[in-house]
Amino acid sequence: MLKALAPDRITFTLAALLLLIFLVLPVAAILVKVAQATAPLDALGSSVVTEALRLSLVTSSISAAVAAVLGTPVAFLLARYRFPGRAVVDSLVDLPMVLPPAVAGLGLLMAFGRRGILGGALDVLGLELAFTTAAVVMAQTFVAAPFYIRSAKAGFEGVDRELERVSATLGSSRLRTFFRVTVPLAGPALMGGAVMAWARALGEFGATIMFAGNTIGRTQTMPLAIYIAFQSDLTASLVLAGILVVVSFAVLFTFKVLLGRSPLGAARA
Amino acid sequence: MRRRLDGFELDVAFQADEGRVVLFGPSGAGKSLTLQAITGVMRPDAGRVEVNGRLLFDGASGLNLPPQERRMGYVPQSYALFPHLTVQQNVAYGIQRLDAARRRALVQDMVELAGLQGLERRRPHELSGGQQQRVALARALASRPELLVLDEPFSNIDTGLRGTLRRELLDLQARSGIATLVVTHDLDDAFFLGSRIVVIDRGRVLQAGSREDIFYRPATRRVAEFVGTRNILRATVLESTSQRLLLDWQGRLLEADPLPLSQGQEVDVCIRPTQVMIVRSDRLPHLPPPENPLCGTIVGEALQAEAYVLRFRLTDPATTGRTAPYDLEIELPDYVYFRLGLNQKKDATISIHRSSMHVIPVAEVVGARCCPG
Repeated sequence: MLKALAPDRITFTLAALLLLIFLVLPVAAILVKVAQATAPLDALGSSVVTEALRLSLVTSSISAAVAAVLGTPVAFLLARYRFPGRAVVDSLVDLPMVLPPAVAGLGLLMAFGRRGILGGALDVLGLELAFTTAAVVMAQTFVAAPFYIRSAKAGFEGVDRELERVSATLGSSRLRTFFRVTVPLAGPALMGGAVMAWARALGEFGATIMFAGNTIGRTQTMPLAIYIAFQSDLTASLVLAGILVVVSFAVLFTFKVLLGRSPLGAARA
Repeated sequence: MRRRLDGFELDVAFQADEGRVVLFGPSGAGKSLTLQAITGVMRPDAGRVEVNGRLLFDGASGLNLPPQERRMGYVPQSYALFPHLTVQQNVAYGIQRLDAARRRALVQDMVELAGLQGLERRRPHELSGGQQQRVALARALASRPELLVLDEPFSNIDTGLRGTLRRELLDLQARSGIATLVVTHDLDDAFFLGSRIVVIDRGRVLQAGSREDIFYRPATRRVAEFVGTRNILRATVLESTSQRLLLDWQGRLLEADPLPLSQGQEVDVCIRPTQVMIVRSDRLPHLPPPENPLCGTIVGEALQAEAYVLRFRLTDPATTGRTAPYDLEIELPDYVYFRLGLNQKKDATISIHRSSMHVIPVAEVVGARCCPG
């Protein structure tokens, strides 16, 4: 049997290699160039780099958390209930995934900016959102939330309703069933969605620069810093990119390993 | 209770006393819907659900207790064990309100009752089908439900293991002393597990009664077919007296126990294959003559475990143009088969006791059909 399958396996491996090389090469190129650079660590000393890294990690984590907390009810509703306009809501939720980030940034500015439709109301409250760290989080959440909602929705859909019914017959309220059965079982999908949302938030560029600007220490995240550095100091840009690559990979890889070790991951394998 | 659902109407009424009740019927009969109405995950349109004198649903007053307040021990077909919890945690799921010490003691009791010692820390995917079922039972029984409700308990179990598991389930139910409702489409399950059986089809109860009633005295031809009656003979009443019922079956006379039927009425006669006797050729002459003797030939046979199933065809039947390859099915133990020499001689005379014949009047609609010529 295995022998009979072997030629196919070779064909597929060769075909897979083509894309894998294409995906890996740019990433590897960055790391190679960082290694070749003279005194790459000097760039790390500058406050621009550390500020950008700190800001990126903080804002992307907050954005992923906001997406998870506010996105969970949305995902649950979409997964479980049929209501009028469900298809519309479903499509709206996906919209930020297909919109160019520049459009997202423009939209956020027109909604929450000083001359935006909510600008006046926010002004009365003494709130100014545009070009603040809050704006960075808003821009990131806007583009990243759909990734969480997609994944969480699939996760909720995958939970066997019979388990929830049994939980109810065993005396559990709906809320207890949700937290004791539904959420743990959808856990891998929820975590996966949160990680994808975090990764998307970490890479956010277009919407951020339009809605939050590019202030060092306040709104200049890693992608912005890389772009700015690229125009003056290639080495600094490379080092920043290298750090982003390593951090992103570490998070994704750790998540995969943890998922494989969890009881649910093992049950599925 | 009643429930309409996309062209399917469920209209079921039955009462179950303490003990084991089986809801038996083919798939699509409405068994699962009935269970859902009882456990409270589905709301019927009308009717009442009452368990042990406690009203759970009443269409008239609008009362509809949610599942968590019904105290039903529900064991679904898939067992639905919580995959993220251990055996112990699964069993403890319904008794969280107890304090830790009592909870631990009760879980321990249940683990022992269900014979799950040593598996406490396993997760469901590490258990066999039979073990999973026992965990599901222990989990349902831990909270001392008013009623244990089992949906197709053995559909996920290999045939070879079913016998053992049926006995285990019976044993567990007896020790827990909790009234049990089982839903199944499997005849063997139904007769093994039910002291009372409710036969249901297309959303209607066809017959409810003791296991013996259903098995030996099906009320209609349809019930007879459901309970696996293999010989259902269509006959006509020739004579009906207080002494006997004389029937015409394919030109043969059959004598049955008396029933108040009128002459010319069509009936279905149910005869269990194990109750057809083969008359010994060396039968002693001073014995009373065999009841309902019929001559014929064995035209087919199959060995099932330790019994022979024979297909018997009447010699020279009066009716012409009949298409059935055989007229009766006979089942007898293998040693009887050999002692009677049936392995060599295929011609035989059979005898059917009057009392072995269960006569069902054919319903008007079917009886009124017209025969050509």
